[in-house]
Amino acid sequence: MQKQDEELVNVTINGKEITAPSSLSTIQALWHAGYPRVKSVGCLEGVCGSCRIMVRRKESDQVTMALGCQTLIEEGMQVNFLVFPTPTHHTYDLKMINSSWEVQGRFHKIFPEADHCRHCGGCNRSCPKGIEVERGVALASKGRFREAGELFIECVMCNFCMTACPEMIAPNHVGLFSRRVTAYFHTRPGNLISRLETLRKGDLDVEK
Amino acid sequence: MSKNNQGTAYKEALNKYCALEDIAAAKETLTPEVLLKQFHPDYFPNSIINLKVGANKGEACHGQLAAMLQSDARIDESDLAGAPILETDILVIGGGGAGCAAALMAAEAGARVTLATKLRLGDSNTVMAEGGIQASIEQGDTPQMHFDDTIKAGHHFSDKELVAEMVMDAPEVIRWLIQQGMQFDLDKYGDLLTRRAGGTSAARVVYYRDYTGLEMMRVLREAVLNSNIEIIDYSPAVELLANESGHCAGAVLSSLKDCSYNLVRAKSVIVATGGIGRMHINQFPTSNHFGATADGLVLAYRLGAKLRDLDSFQYHPSGLSHPQHMAGHLITEGVRSAGAYMLNANGERFVDELKTRDHVSSAILRECVEGRGITTPDGAIGVWLDTPGLELREPGMLALRFPKLIELGKKSGIDPLKVPPLIYPTLHYQNGGVVIDPNGLSSVKGLYCVGEVSGGIHGKNRIMGNALLEIISFGRRAGEHAAANCHGVKHKKISIEHLSDLRRELTQANMPMDLQGPLLFPECAKFENDSDYDGLHKNR
Ligand SMILES: Cc1cc2nc3c(=O)[nH]c(=O)nc-3n(C[C@H](O)[C@H](O)[C@H](O)COP(=O)(O)OP(=O)(O)OC[C@H]3O[C@@H](n4cnc5c(N)ncnc54)[C@H](O)[C@@H]3O)c2cc1C
Repeated sequence: MQKQDEELVNVTINGKEITAPSSLSTIQALWHAGYPRVKSVGCLEGVCGSCRIMVRRKESDQVTMALGCQTLIEEGMQVNFLVFPTPTHHTYDLKMINSSWEVQGRFHKIFPEADHCRHCGGCNRSCPKGIEVERGVALASKGRFREAGELFIECVMCNFCMTACPEMIAPNHVGLFSRRVTAYFHTRPGNLISRLETLRKGDLDVEK
Repeated sequence: MSKNNQGTAYKEALNKYCALEDIAAAKETLTPEVLLKQFHPDYFPNSIINLKVGANKGEACHGQLAAMLQSDARIDESDLAGAPILETDILVIGGGGAGCAAALMAAEAGARVTLATKLRLGDSNTVMAEGGIQASIEQGDTPQMHFDDTIKAGHHFSDKELVAEMVMDAPEVIRWLIQQGMQFDLDKYGDLLTRRAGGTSAARVVYYRDYTGLEMMRVLREAVLNSNIEIIDYSPAVELLANESGHCAGAVLSSLKDCSYNLVRAKSVIVATGGIGRMHINQFPTSNHFGATADGLVLAYRLGAKLRDLDSFQYHPSGLSHPQHMAGHLITEGVRSAGAYMLNANGERFVDELKTRDHVSSAILRECVEGRGITTPDGAIGVWLDTPGLELREPGMLALRFPKLIELGKKSGIDPLKVPPLIYPTLHYQNGGVVIDPNGLSSVKGLYCVGEVSGGIHGKNRIMGNALLEIISFGRRAGEHAAANCHGVKHKKISIEHLSDLRRELTQANMPMDLQGPLLFPECAKFENDSDYDGLHKNR
């Protein structure tokens, strides 16, 4: 499928030595080399958070976290796929929060660890989307949910930050909680509400 | 596909290209009907055949889909000996938007709900949606206009009853999503911002950046995870189960975790397995997620469900054509809605960019076939999406409203603010599907089908934003209805006996039976040669 003159590179993926064109992602490289891969594959566009990989680049002893479909292979790269992200132990139901005055109090009951952040930066380093995770947790802890939520716009819930956090904070869920309470309590669009009201009165109908 | 490699070479065309503030509108020479007949892939010669078995016997269907619908099953009785049986009230198959909405409603109504999904919960077409979701909320707009636009865009093939229910649901659907914690882009007064979809008469698409699906899916997934819905992930359904009178009564799941079969016995089943993109109909690239392999259609058809519009697929105009390893990736229609033009190799606009998708895609295919396309060294072809021109007219808007496009630019090495992406139609959506009623019920008792797997709403062509609306509108309806009607249902016997009938019919019709379905995973994944997955034993 690829161009004849394309550069080939050698990589190790899940312990298998693979030679493939450098324009391929780590997942495509596995397929290219004839290895099956279906677990931890998903949207192939970097939004479903399934294809979590650990990467070590040539002449580096740093291991970084990334999404497999978004990572193009490079010479000497070592890649390991992780599967089945573990669920968090935090649970909550938005309906149990009676008003926006209560959100902060509830937050600390649902995510008691959020205050224990050691500022180790592990979550920031593990985030494949470059989100300022740690700052998001700090903002949420102070009750600044709208601001915290804004930081997590790109979050795909890959759970890397959860794995990286020594205090079990589940920062991605903190981020999503912040976003959800913002919508739940504060998104009240006038144009939508007035349309709902007109519909309720039965003033609009469809003729088929 | 019928690409014609005559055109202008990429480098040469790019040298000629220049971002301009204004470019004259296109002059149409063909009527829409002629344009479609000559260039739309649905009319490719010899691609449509008649089905030989099943509820749609004698009716038209795309050949590739027909092969799957008339394939042999993956399992037989002997595979199920000793398989554990789980009990539940309602089994939802598919963890995208439609499945999650159905599961949440059913659980809220007090039913015991189990949700099985092929891979990770939320890995779906839903999470990838970009442009937004339709709801008539602006002053000059009405549900009637929404209805009329939908019917017209679908070339009058839609089920009017379903469309009427859906457009009336729309504002409530948005409210429900907000109450699940979903954010939308708002203006400074807090009103929902709207954009106009191609082929429609009003700005009616509400959205969150070009991450509408991501925002929707992560919120719905979180809501499901925080409920008492039992989740069985990494477990594709390989067959439905029926009771002694042919009612749907559960499913056979194949776990990718431990390679075993599990039976789920349920009072009713809601199939929400999404679309067909990864079948690469007519060899087109696709915008769809990895699991979009028409499984639900195959499962429902085997149980006797009636399908419709199996000859009609949507090719989205703006799929990425270059670089090749990203072929098919979507650039949302929102970009054209925001004012981006499309240009051929001569730098001319060649169609009104906001016509319906079938129309715009046909026009792109015409430019390519008639030598006005842009060709790349690796054999791809396409036209320009003039994002730099839009940046010139509205500086900063792309970065603000289309972060996913900017990311796409980084990965493809083509910065859309400076260089126009090369686009070509990408297989995007199955217009048809399982025939349903306003509660999402199929023609088989106990079997609901909702979301992309169902048919009837979009006729032969869908407008932007109506899919996300459909999945929540009908997902909720099915969940509620299934929960309200599961009391007192008791299946004496559950089995896959319907497969014997299927095999008999296939043999009588002289069908080859060398293919086994459902497909489950695209061929490129080489799933079938993997000894890890013996549990599915394709290689019998
Ligand atoms: C890139 C892209 C952009 C889009 N943008 C928009 C937009 O802006 N607006 C709009 O209205 N529409 C848009 N669409 C269309 C819309 O997103 C989909 O039609 C819709 O989300 C489908 O939802 P669903 O729940 O029916 O299916 P999906 O979201 O695809 O979910 C189906 C689920 O079922 C699972 N599944 C499949 N087979 C099996 C099996 N055998 N067993 C168990 N589980 C199975 C899948 O893994 C998946 O989790 C877009 C689509 C794509 C691909």
